[in-house]
Amino acid sequence: MRTFKITVLVGLTISSLLLVNMLLINLSVVSSNYLSIFLVLCLLCVFSWQLKLRKNFAKVAPAKNDASNDDIHQIELSFQKINLLLSKQVSIVDNEVSRANTLVGSAVGDISNSFKCLQELCQLQQSLISQIVQNITSAENNESSMIDSFVQHTNDTLQEFVDVIITTSKKSLETLSYTDEMIAQFDSIFSLLGQVENLASQTNLLALNAAIEAARAGDAGRGFAVVANEVRALSISSTELNESIRNKISGTQNIISQLRSSVEMMASADMTPTLKAKDKVIEMIDYMGKTSVSTGTVIHELSLITPQISEHVVNAIRSLQFEDLTNQTLTSIKSNLSSISVLNQLLENIEITPDAMSEQLINLQMKCHEIMTSTTKKDESRSVCQMSMAEGEVELF
Amino acid sequence: MTVKKMLENDDSKLSIVVDGKFDFSLYQNFRDAYIDFQGRNVDIVLDLSKTTYMDSSALGMILLLKEYGDKNSNRIVIKSPNETVNKILEIAQFHRLLTIEI
Repeated sequence: MRTFKITVLVGLTISSLLLVNMLLINLSVVSSNYLSIFLVLCLLCVFSWQLKLRKNFAKVAPAKNDASNDDIHQIELSFQKINLLLSKQVSIVDNEVSRANTLVGSAVGDISNSFKCLQELCQLQQSLISQIVQNITSAENNESSMIDSFVQHTNDTLQEFVDVIITTSKKSLETLSYTDEMIAQFDSIFSLLGQVENLASQTNLLALNAAIEAARAGDAGRGFAVVANEVRALSISSTELNESIRNKISGTQNIISQLRSSVEMMASADMTPTLKAKDKVIEMIDYMGKTSVSTGTVIHELSLITPQISEHVVNAIRSLQFEDLTNQTLTSIKSNLSSISVLNQLLENIEITPDAMSEQLINLQMKCHEIMTSTTKKDESRSVCQMSMAEGEVELF
Repeated sequence: MTVKKMLENDDSKLSIVVDGKFDFSLYQNFRDAYIDFQGRNVDIVLDLSKTTYMDSSALGMILLLKEYGDKNSNRIVIKSPNETVNKILEIAQFHRLLTIEI
């Protein structure tokens, strides 16, 4: 109403000023243009006044229209419903946001602790593995030299053993040939003994003949007979002695045959166990070599895996920064909710009456604009913040 | 279990073939095979192609043969031992002492 009055007043003032001006300067020729502008302005003023009056009349008498009254009531009801719905939704969303906040906070705390433990254990494992690697590397030289010397020693021992066996065999065979020579000697002794026996029996025969001749000589040969008997006795003792020598030599021959079998046992050593022992030594060397290589490989692979685990754990810990980002998001949702609440409050306070409605709606629009501006500002400031978790290298925990 | 003696080229070359097990029981026959050989500066060939087994007394006999050969300037050549016998000869390091033709 006021603006309208001002417009009318301004219009009238301008037109009257123009009129006065023309009169004062007393222009000889009154321009038809000025006159027409003045007329148009006057017409505009009157027209707008009438338009405004009509509008006011329509405002004052809405009660006459039942339909519009019903509409207003419906609008009021709708406003109330929207208001209720909004407050319900806002409270639910608010609760959910708080719950999400708590859940994320506690879960992230737990996960972070677990990862920290995992990382510590990883580091421990890594240090243990590197210790093992170091031990193995330092031990490898000693060990290999130890194994080498052991193998060399075993080989030497085996060779000495073989040499001893062969030398023993050879010496035994030589002994055997000496023994065989000895047996041949004994055989010749036997033949000599046979000759001796022959001599003895001949002596015995001679003694017998002498005894017979002595008997034939009678008393004169009595002395000779005694001698002949003595000679005979001697020949018999000689035969007995011969027999005992033969027996002794036979005993010796038996002993020699035992000696021969002993020598045979000494000479005949089976080489198969030695062969097997040699094969075992070779097998063992091979096995040791393979084991050493495979152990080395496995430990090397293990030492490569652990740093990878560590790296993944670090990545996981860094990924836990999502808590911060999520919190930011949740906070922003909360502030948006509070904006919606403010709006809701405005809606609640609005009076749906024909007089106040327009003003209140304008007020509502202004408030909406304010909220819109502040929300946009906040959103812009937030978008400046970190958008990706991978951007930060810093560990937050 | 036999030892065969073969004289070639007017008794100037001697071959000894050992068949079956080469052990102590062959001692006398083996010794007899070379002990009367008069050839000098020639090869005495010990053919082990038919030998299936050898014990240490066989090694001792070969050493005695080598001693005999050294005395008479004869080279001892072992011919065609089978795998087992050759292994035994290797263990005894006979490759260093004698010529072994496989």
